[in-house]
Amino acid sequence: MDMQMINQVMEATGETLVMVFFSTVFSLLLGLPIGVLLHITGKEEDGGIIPSPVFNSVLSRIVNVLRSFPFIILLIVLIPLSRIIVGSSIGTKAAIVPLSIAAAPFVARIIESALKEVDPGVIQAAKAMGSTNWQLVYKVLIPEAMPALMSGLTLTIINLIGYSAMAGTIGGGGLGDLAIRYGYQRFRPSYLVAAVIVILIMVEIIQVAGDRIVKRMMSRR
Amino acid sequence: MHIKLVNLKRDYGSLHAVQDVSLEIPSNTIYGIIGKSGAGKSTLVRLVSMLEKPDAGEVWYDNERVDNLTGGALIEKRRHIGMIFQNFNLFSSRNAAGNIAYPMEICAMDKAYIKNRVNELLSLVGLEGRGDAPISTLSGGQKQRVAIARALACQPDILFCDEATSALDPQTTRSILALIKELQAKMNLTVVMITHQMEVVRDACERVAVLESGRIVEEGLVADIFANPRSEVTKDFLSNLTNVKDSIVRWSTEAGRFTLRFRGGSTDEPIISNVAIETGATFNIRAAGVQHVGDEELGVMVLDIGPDEEHVRLAVQLLKKYGVIIEGDV
Repeated sequence: MDMQMINQVMEATGETLVMVFFSTVFSLLLGLPIGVLLHITGKEEDGGIIPSPVFNSVLSRIVNVLRSFPFIILLIVLIPLSRIIVGSSIGTKAAIVPLSIAAAPFVARIIESALKEVDPGVIQAAKAMGSTNWQLVYKVLIPEAMPALMSGLTLTIINLIGYSAMAGTIGGGGLGDLAIRYGYQRFRPSYLVAAVIVILIMVEIIQVAGDRIVKRMMSRR
Repeated sequence: MHIKLVNLKRDYGSLHAVQDVSLEIPSNTIYGIIGKSGAGKSTLVRLVSMLEKPDAGEVWYDNERVDNLTGGALIEKRRHIGMIFQNFNLFSSRNAAGNIAYPMEICAMDKAYIKNRVNELLSLVGLEGRGDAPISTLSGGQKQRVAIARALACQPDILFCDEATSALDPQTTRSILALIKELQAKMNLTVVMITHQMEVVRDACERVAVLESGRIVEEGLVADIFANPRSEVTKDFLSNLTNVKDSIVRWSTEAGRFTLRFRGGSTDEPIISNVAIETGATFNIRAAGVQHVGDEELGVMVLDIGPDEEHVRLAVQLLKKYGVIIEGDV
């Protein structure tokens, strides 16, 4: 293991962290409103606040279609979009666009299912007290679902770490890119091993930290 | 606040949950609505509390029609009623004080005022200093106390109790009912109590409506209904109640043919002895006891009369003359 390799691994780790961080933020920004809409327009017995069956099923279909899109194809299809948004179709910044869009429908479903766990009785009580729909969402639904939302976030980040490895195909950089270009194509297995180990450590840290936060939230309830 | 229901109707598909209910709930009282599960109680309370719209009919609070309110006006009106539930429905993401503060927060009240009012409400329901407690650390009775404090935070005119004591043990039920009675008097509340427990009606309510298959089958003062139940459902509720250990002693499982109910002052007189002496009839008492209904005492006696039908007829006639209410085939 030489100095050059260590530097390359560090650099790739930094790129992965940047990709994962920003795509988590953007996929949350996109997925949160969609997830909330999916939930509140659902059936009343499932805890829906403003049931609208048509809107709900249309939105649900769109989310499903986006979710079943293979990520590798999404990466290529979204090249023009990346060019418009970040001015380039290759590199770490460019990879954030397809990563965010690929993760958004996943985040939406995770948020929907977390909100579904909130006791409909509690929503009914808040409604009976004269809460507006907006208050029901941000003062009741989201705080009540916080532990489930937190474990959903953990899952999202871990998924994005996995996805980000594929972003190498459009020159996105990061650990996956390093593993493939050096480890596989140039026959230097030590790069492959190093990249995988760093990814494993990342996933482990996120999982443990996420579990701890959820546990702490639950202990205060 | 006086509540008036006019020909309320609500169907769910082919199920007629509430059909043609008209009712007057006088202000400043505790009003019971009793029914078995599936009788339409929950739907009725959802209609009266503006959580659901009726298919037909009207709901009036004093001189204001409320069933057709929408949007901002509906939300505003809901802020003037309080509601408590069987499962308490407290926010687990907030501690006791946070729960009580919620209805005031959504009305954008001043923070300092909210803080004061929360402490005031905590001591009102007997939970001084427990504001920091997470909800999961509270007992059922304490949870319902927090829920009551939350419901009363914005000084409502009406308090709806939807099976509020059904998840509580008898002792806690009594203390919660005592609290509701105390607060009702203190705050001049109109309390509407939905329940399937006759004990709740007996211990807390002034008037009661009996609901069956979405219709009101009987309505009146609790003391009157207890003394002289007319519908089968009511009799059924009462017979369950007469088995309650602390209100009646039953020393024979063989059902007596007659159930006698003695009202008020007549519980002090030796009526049975008098009738026995005057008519020569014999009495075999199966079960007896005194029930406290509101402020009134009600004597209940299950017995057989002998020795023959002629004596039965005479005895029943005389008992009725004494003002005793008799149930059973004569």
